[in-house]
Amino acid sequence: MQRASVPYFLILPSFLLAAAIILWPLKEIVSLSLHDVNRFGMLKDFIGLEHFRSLFANADFLAATWRTLFWTAAVVIGTLIVSVPIALILNEDFYGRGIARILIMLPWAISLTMTAIVWRWALNGESGMLNSALRDLGIINSNIQWLAEASTAFPMQILIGILVSVPFTVTIFLGGLSSVPEDLYEAAATEGAGRWDQFRLITLPLLKPFINIAFVLNTIYVFNSFPIIWATTQGGPANSTDILVTYLYKTAFRMGRLGEAAAVSLIMFAILIVFTIIYVRLAMREEKQ
Amino acid sequence: MSKKLKRSILFWLFLSPIVVVILFPYAVMAISSLKSATEVLNPTWWPDELHWQNFPEMWRTSGIAPALVNSLYVSGLSTALTILVSIPAAYALSRYQFAGRNAFRQFLLVSQMLSPIVLVIGLFRLVAGAGMIDSLNVLVVIYTAFNIAFCVWMLQSYFSTIPRDLEEAAWMEGASRTRTLFTVFLPLAVPAMVVTAIFTFINAWNEFVIALTMLRTEDSYTLPIRVFSLVAGRYTVDWHYVMAAAFVASVPVAILFAWLQRYLVRGLSIGAVK
Repeated sequence: MQRASVPYFLILPSFLLAAAIILWPLKEIVSLSLHDVNRFGMLKDFIGLEHFRSLFANADFLAATWRTLFWTAAVVIGTLIVSVPIALILNEDFYGRGIARILIMLPWAISLTMTAIVWRWALNGESGMLNSALRDLGIINSNIQWLAEASTAFPMQILIGILVSVPFTVTIFLGGLSSVPEDLYEAAATEGAGRWDQFRLITLPLLKPFINIAFVLNTIYVFNSFPIIWATTQGGPANSTDILVTYLYKTAFRMGRLGEAAAVSLIMFAILIVFTIIYVRLAMREEKQ
Repeated sequence: MSKKLKRSILFWLFLSPIVVVILFPYAVMAISSLKSATEVLNPTWWPDELHWQNFPEMWRTSGIAPALVNSLYVSGLSTALTILVSIPAAYALSRYQFAGRNAFRQFLLVSQMLSPIVLVIGLFRLVAGAGMIDSLNVLVVIYTAFNIAFCVWMLQSYFSTIPRDLEEAAWMEGASRTRTLFTVFLPLAVPAMVVTAIFTFINAWNEFVIALTMLRTEDSYTLPIRVFSLVAGRYTVDWHYVMAAAFVASVPVAILFAWLQRYLVRGLSIGAVK
């Protein structure tokens, strides 16, 4: 074997597999989105951008798009705000830290589908234990039908989204914090810097690249997150908790409008590409440092 | 009171709200799984009597046993396959300079950004066109493809931290490149392989949307789909069985994870920094 060809030979299996599973479906989706398609997936006439035009005239689609952006921003920002103090605490030495780490990481190990199904039961109006817990604490007087309307269902879904995103984010931050040299703090302490100053002047700047990575990765994961909403409300009642992924799934597999669903895929893909570019830039900048 | 004890109390007070909220659904799961069919409708915190028989009954009626086998098959096989194709690619990226190296890395990054849900229609057509709907092996291939990027990336970061001197010393003593790889390099890389394997396994074990789309008959359901099917589109849901099933589906992985999580933290931090 020629020595120069060795690396290509080594990357070939992974490249072929990933390319086949990613590029071929992508080509299919592009072709579906530009054709009239019947419910059995047969391509009819080429209709150009007609599917996109009808999507942008569709109030449900536009509402789902805005809701997706709100959902992503709320979950990601909420996650970052909750995760920074948790990571700072878990990085300190205290009794029971091992247990605390395991408890905080727990949602990561349990399937999102299971967590969402359990929440659906906990949020049940009559039999749900959230209502009974809140009543026992004297926070509410009568049962709330959490999943019956978007104004209560969607905030709960955002809360679930934050809870399941925290473990991954805290893990990244812990990795970042472990790379902060201890003597920096000692030097700062001898200079008379208080704990807040140490946090602001040392920890936060050193944590910044990790916050960036967590921000972009979470944005992509949350934007694509399907099980939480599907297992709790399936986007209902009356599409009022639909985000783009659930809208896409319903359009394709419930209503059988494959062409339109493919167009939704491509619009999501376009939004993701913007994130990807940001991500690649961040990753490259990390590398140069 | 010692300083560390004081600090511990303060930290636990601070963490307790989030710990309570995180544990709440799993407490609901555990408690509901032990209630009787009538009592499960009452939101009491402690059941009057513990219905342990829920578990054997659920095991008989819900079809969770074949789902468990299917999930083990799919997760185990896709983990093995992912590691198998990722190691050579990661080795190439960390030890060779070649034209297209950066292009390949960027391809991996982009493929990590494309989630299965965005491609689900195209994947469905691909699989349906090949007449392979309902095949677990299709899931194995798809899960492998979507985990390659992360695995190669993680492994490559770790491989780059293994000093070259060790391999060079082995070459000096006349060992071939392949032999050095298997006797010197790969043994050192075992921790990274374990971390990526766990990560891939958990991803596959928990995957929902592709399995929901590709699996049509109950015999081929994986665990998430099996449990979801006990809830979705039914007029009456046996919540005590559902919770028992969710419990059985969650606990093994949760224990595995609790045992291995510090390796995961360490591995991810290496992957993120380098």
